[in-house]
Amino acid sequence: MANQSFAKNVMKKTTLGVIVGVLLVVGAKFTHFPYVFQVMFFIYAMLGALVFILLDAPAMKRLEGVKAVGALVVFYLLLSGLYIAGASILPQFDPEDEKGKIEKILKPRRAQTEQGKADELIARAKELDERAQALSKQLASLGAEAQVEVVEQPSSAGAGAATGDVIALGKEQWELQECYNCHKLFGQGGKKRGPELDNIGNLMTVDQLREKILNPKSWKAEGFDKDYDKGKMPDKYKDLMFPKEIDALVAFLSSLKDASVKTPKPIKMN
Amino acid sequence: MKTLNRSLWVFLVLCLGGVAAAFGQVPDAPPVDFPYAGNRTGVWVVAQLHILFAAFILGAPIFAVVAEWLGYKNNDPKYDRLAKEVIKVTVILYSMTALTGGLFIFVLLGTYPDFSTWLIKHFFLVFAVIYPLLFILETIILYTYFYSWDSMKGAKKGRHIALGILLNIVGTVTLFVIDGPTSFMNTPAKAAEGLSLVEFIQTAGLWDKMANYSWMPLNLHRLVGNVTFGGFIAGLIAAYMFMGSKTDEERSYYDWMGFVGNMIGVGALLLLPFMGYLLAYELCDYDASICPYMMADQLSMFFEMQGAMIGLIFLASNYYIWLSLKRIQGVEQVRISGFVALVVLLMPAIMGYTWKMFPPPEWQSLIVLGALVVLPAILGKIPGLKNFTVSAFTMIKVGFLMIVVADAIWMTPHGFVPTQGLATEEVELPSWAGELALMPAKNAAAFTLVFLTVVNYILYNRAIKRGTIIWGKIDFASQFVLIFLAFSAIWTMGLMGAVRSLTRKYYHVYNLVPDFSPEAFTPTLAYSAWWITGVTIVFYAVVSFAILVTLKAGSPKPVGSAASPIPAEAK
Repeated sequence: MANQSFAKNVMKKTTLGVIVGVLLVVGAKFTHFPYVFQVMFFIYAMLGALVFILLDAPAMKRLEGVKAVGALVVFYLLLSGLYIAGASILPQFDPEDEKGKIEKILKPRRAQTEQGKADELIARAKELDERAQALSKQLASLGAEAQVEVVEQPSSAGAGAATGDVIALGKEQWELQECYNCHKLFGQGGKKRGPELDNIGNLMTVDQLREKILNPKSWKAEGFDKDYDKGKMPDKYKDLMFPKEIDALVAFLSSLKDASVKTPKPIKMN
Repeated sequence: MKTLNRSLWVFLVLCLGGVAAAFGQVPDAPPVDFPYAGNRTGVWVVAQLHILFAAFILGAPIFAVVAEWLGYKNNDPKYDRLAKEVIKVTVILYSMTALTGGLFIFVLLGTYPDFSTWLIKHFFLVFAVIYPLLFILETIILYTYFYSWDSMKGAKKGRHIALGILLNIVGTVTLFVIDGPTSFMNTPAKAAEGLSLVEFIQTAGLWDKMANYSWMPLNLHRLVGNVTFGGFIAGLIAAYMFMGSKTDEERSYYDWMGFVGNMIGVGALLLLPFMGYLLAYELCDYDASICPYMMADQLSMFFEMQGAMIGLIFLASNYYIWLSLKRIQGVEQVRISGFVALVVLLMPAIMGYTWKMFPPPEWQSLIVLGALVVLPAILGKIPGLKNFTVSAFTMIKVGFLMIVVADAIWMTPHGFVPTQGLATEEVELPSWAGELALMPAKNAAAFTLVFLTVVNYILYNRAIKRGTIIWGKIDFASQFVLIFLAFSAIWTMGLMGAVRSLTRKYYHVYNLVPDFSPEAFTPTLAYSAWWITGVTIVFYAVVSFAILVTLKAGSPKPVGSAASPIPAEAK
């Protein structure tokens, strides 16, 4: 009897959950929520149904001995599976995206350490050794009159600088330092933490831009008083960036001259 | 048991001796490669295990001494037994804390020798003198506290409780001290005017490095977290013992113990979201770029998972109240003002709007908040309105509905993307609903969860006073709820511990000591979840073993059916 009543209850609550879920989905669609949010709302409606099913569920029978231990093991496995699956269903950040970024940021810093210098010397010695061995092989196989082509290997460090495209390097710094997290540019990024910078090149000189990056308190964007007072812009780039990286970033920023975007007016503070 | 403890200690000393000898003889030893998992994950797993044991041995004594004091004050031996049983398990796990601590040092020195040396140099006084001394002092007090339990009864009980308080003071100071280097890795001191961070750290004193931005928020967060943890683990102990009980007497006692553990756990849990906010606030205040990294970039989905876990924990703790309430005779008579139900229903919308218009601590927001909390009580006393009441069960059902709603708000992100760079219209909130993803909405959701849980406890308290609670007769499913709470709390601790550590990005010490190893990237949430689950299971297995060894094996066997008592009743 109790089982029948519980089964009826499950049916009733599940149906109600589905109805509420469908209504939410329709409402969400109508109000332009993307598909993924519609799914989320439906899941929450079903979670609500599950909760209300549990509230009226009959009391559980007592378990003892092996049955109790077995139930516990199954319970732990279920929980573990549920949490791993839940975490795996959510969108995953691809570490490969970050690895390249980290490599670019840390490589010049590592080169400055004792270990980095030693590693570089070892790598160069290894490279020379390999080239010498290759030359010996070529000489041995082709004879003395053979011409040996020595291909100059470009140095991996500063490959971008060799191109002379300092603005491209500055754009790369924009990405590496994740400036886009606070500043909108080309219509992308930013969360209103900092001003939109598409027209900053018309409002600040190269020296002023450098001053702002090195000392964020030196300039304030009009309308960003609270963010300025709270010191939202980190005062760390003078320590974290090499002068040539700052130069490149400044060159990139000074090239931003899109007057159609309303970049707030910079105000000199100290 | 003593032999086991001593063996573990001897093993630990030998391990440490071995490490010291090995590293003393080989200057600039190259890092070892941790098998299978890699160095970063190896350190992560061992550190997380150590922190879980440490959280228990710091949280459980707080729980125990409060229980002992309540037993002494109310002359109720149940509380004394509860306190002693928790401390019994603590003593076993204390050895495990030391063992995993030793292992942590061992693995850290092996995998990151240069950085470990750097950190030890900067905190030499802490690592070499203060922390070991505190640990030894804590060990002496804990063992004295435990072994003097039976001898310090009656008139000496007050002194025994004082010893317990001293144990907690030393434990808390130990936590605060070791939080210094830990928080320093997240937020090293800000450089003085005109100096670079590197230059400043070279000349900074120990206190400058200890008293960094996130030190006190981390202390408070961990302290409250440890109490929550202690409460839920006490609930776990009670659940295991209840399931294995052979007599009604035992069942009634462990049912009561589960109730107390859950109450303390939930009580402290109510403060945790605010402590978490404080820590996050200080991290963002130190460097505003940490905030988007956590909330909008690589770690955003970790917070999505945290929202799911918090929702589940609140659902489970309130479900335990529900199951507990169902066995109270006379609960049907308990009613509460219908205005409370209305406030619970409207709270996310009202507080979300208020906090958007008047961000705390602006006085207008506090007035609205105060009015919402106080108004139902005032309206409920006005003639003509005071008859507008709802039953306890209706109120709790409204509460469950709002837990689901509040958690949905908590979990609504700006976009279902693992990094802001991938955000497109197809996965982002429509612009008109953007407020749902902002802090005022999240704060309102958190406050709703806290408020309705407090209301449920008030109702529960009224039901106990007006009805008759029959201990031992609770729905058996409640024991699984207690186990679920402990498991989920541990899992969430693991998740948030990973988040705190990952906010250092590709630095050992944020912005100061870069991590040049190939593993200095943000792992995926799925990868992290596997390891967090693994650590939780290992911790659970050890705790379960400790409970069985200390309590189950040591419990007296029932003396036949004649001794079966009538279920204990309490008014």
